[in-house]
Amino acid sequence: MTKVLMIAFMMVFTQNYVLVQFLAICPFLGVSQKFDSCIGMSGAVIFVMTLASAVTWLIYTYVMVPLGLDYLSTIIFILVIAALVQFVEIFLKKFIKPLYNALGVYLPLITTNCAVLAVTLLNISEKYNLLESCVDGFSAGVGFGLALILFCGVRKALERAKPPKSWAGLPITLVAAALTSMTFMGFTGIADKLFG
Amino acid sequence: MKQKNSKWKILTNGIFKENPVLILLLGCCSVLAISVTVSGALGMGVAMTFVLVCSNVVISLLRKVIPDKIRIPCFIVVIATFVTLVQMVVQAFLPALYDALGIFLPLIVVNCIVLGRAEMFASKNGVLDSLLDGIGMGLGYTLVIVCIAVVRELIGSGTFYGIRIIPEGYQIGIITQTPGGFFMFGAAMALLIYCLGKKGRHFDPRIGCDGKCGNCGFNCENREDNIKLYENQAALEAAAAADEKEGSAV
Amino acid sequence: MSPVLIAVLILSAIGLVCALVLVLASKFMAVPVDEKFPAIRACLPGANCGACGYAGCDGYANALAAGEEEKTNKCIAGGQEVAKAVAETMGLAFEAVVEVNAFVHCRGDCLNTQKRTEFQGARSCAAAKLLFGSDGACHYGCIGYGDCASVCPENAINIINGIAHINDIRCMGCGACARTCPQGIIEVLPKEFEVAVSCSNHDRGPAVKKACAVGCIACTLCAKKCPAGAITMVNNLPEIDHDKCTGCGTCASVCPQKVILFGNKV
Repeated sequence: MTKVLMIAFMMVFTQNYVLVQFLAICPFLGVSQKFDSCIGMSGAVIFVMTLASAVTWLIYTYVMVPLGLDYLSTIIFILVIAALVQFVEIFLKKFIKPLYNALGVYLPLITTNCAVLAVTLLNISEKYNLLESCVDGFSAGVGFGLALILFCGVRKALERAKPPKSWAGLPITLVAAALTSMTFMGFTGIADKLFG
Repeated sequence: MKQKNSKWKILTNGIFKENPVLILLLGCCSVLAISVTVSGALGMGVAMTFVLVCSNVVISLLRKVIPDKIRIPCFIVVIATFVTLVQMVVQAFLPALYDALGIFLPLIVVNCIVLGRAEMFASKNGVLDSLLDGIGMGLGYTLVIVCIAVVRELIGSGTFYGIRIIPEGYQIGIITQTPGGFFMFGAAMALLIYCLGKKGRHFDPRIGCDGKCGNCGFNCENREDNIKLYENQAALEAAAAADEKEGSAV
Repeated sequence: MSPVLIAVLILSAIGLVCALVLVLASKFMAVPVDEKFPAIRACLPGANCGACGYAGCDGYANALAAGEEEKTNKCIAGGQEVAKAVAETMGLAFEAVVEVNAFVHCRGDCLNTQKRTEFQGARSCAAAKLLFGSDGACHYGCIGYGDCASVCPENAINIINGIAHINDIRCMGCGACARTCPQGIIEVLPKEFEVAVSCSNHDRGPAVKKACAVGCIACTLCAKKCPAGAITMVNNLPEIDHDKCTGCGTCASVCPQKVILFGNKV
């Protein structure tokens, strides 16, 4: 139980996918301008990451390991993720229309989101069991959402700033991202204290 | 002669005019993460170029065969094959590099540059052009990541390719960590904008400007001109539309 | 079996299973589409501006196809051509679209009024309004942080000298700005209206003059002098009955604060 909680805490704070591990930067910079798209993107990412973690873990443990095919993990995982995202889109459109209206636009973008493939590969390399993998996927998504929403607020405040001419636009946004990620470094000490 | 010029153009396109990292803003994740050491950056650049070139060539060869509806999964499979190949080779022969690259080596599969060039270029052009484009883009990417790595390694760890240059105790450690990565990338972009100078400041998406001066907080010097430009444009469009109507009525 | 063969077989098997699942899903979970809907939807411009009152062009097309909506002239962004096309597709008579533009009922820019407080929050009108009802001297007027400009799909709004100015040529009358303005002072008016009131201040007399140099002081001269009796004072602001208005412009000439605009709107 402690391990599960620790994984969750780690993924959201100390090993935050965007602000500590440099994953999913493209959507982080691209989507964080409007608050509504932040919420939509985060929801979609959490959804896909949890599902993908579960499905890829099952395929890895019950199909690939017995047949000695773990070197094919990159190809098979990305294939499964792409098919899964497509399937989820069709499923939502038919059965959960409101959810499709909220998240549907972002689902195709998530296939090539490096964070999703990364979380599935990291589950394997950290040798988590099924529950831990799902929690890992879910928390990584939550961490991504947290970073995205925080940064949306930072960007809104940036609009009033008057940086030097060459720094206007993307460069000053990246500096703001640097400072935001510095704040997350502070969480490292908490993890050690909380979980021994 | 014209042929040769256009081939050269395709090659240099990826290095300067449409540099994948600084202009097209693709593949930022790996640039930010791997530019900590020069050796790592070089290794990543070479791996990326290899995958780019191979996947571009194969996809260009298969472009007439792959059906349009399933082209993205097909591209991904081709790219993933080459990435797995590179993964295995690096793991076997360069274990230090393998550790340095970590999760970002298999992540080349979903790197926006590789998939983007496959979709934009290789699926629509011939094999030689795709090959040259792959080399160009790969070189452009390597150039940027190595340059950032040189600065980051020098300031952050005081070394260059492992050779100590600045004595220990005088380095700024945070540069090698995450915040430093973001900051250095921002600085690189600012430098690029400064070098590109005044040309193209109107409606320049690279500086985050999309021409909507209406509520822009930046108060750039072009604001008044841009607003006038927009309003003039609107008047000209309306006049042109009115002329067209009259012309068709007559 | 050789490892290469196993690898190829398993990879192909997984690919086939994925493909099969997707094909089955797209067949059995397909959402049925109404026949008329694509034809009607094709007539609409796809701007999704919401001026028709529905959630995007899909919403309007769905309502028309289902027979819930009978008016074919609701698409303001598309204009007369779209109204004609929709009417033809549905087999109904053509009704002309009423051409509209947005209008900001405020002329209190930096030259006419001043800020009461220094607002340091997020650069948004809605945010400024939450804090003691905006940072301007006039509580009712345009706050000037551009919430309207950021939602305008045509980039027709510019913030000049601290208030919103609408470019009449670019404005297509979708009403997004009117819905967004937290002060509620943007209104979508038919282009044919010649008279408009450029103030939203409900106070009167000296209080208004203190807040803004061009605010309506509710002197009621316009209402008294209007030859057609088209103006009534409601909440210290003139309300013009456009059915009665003859477009003579008397109200504009007698207004001491130059609040009523006649002819070319600002």
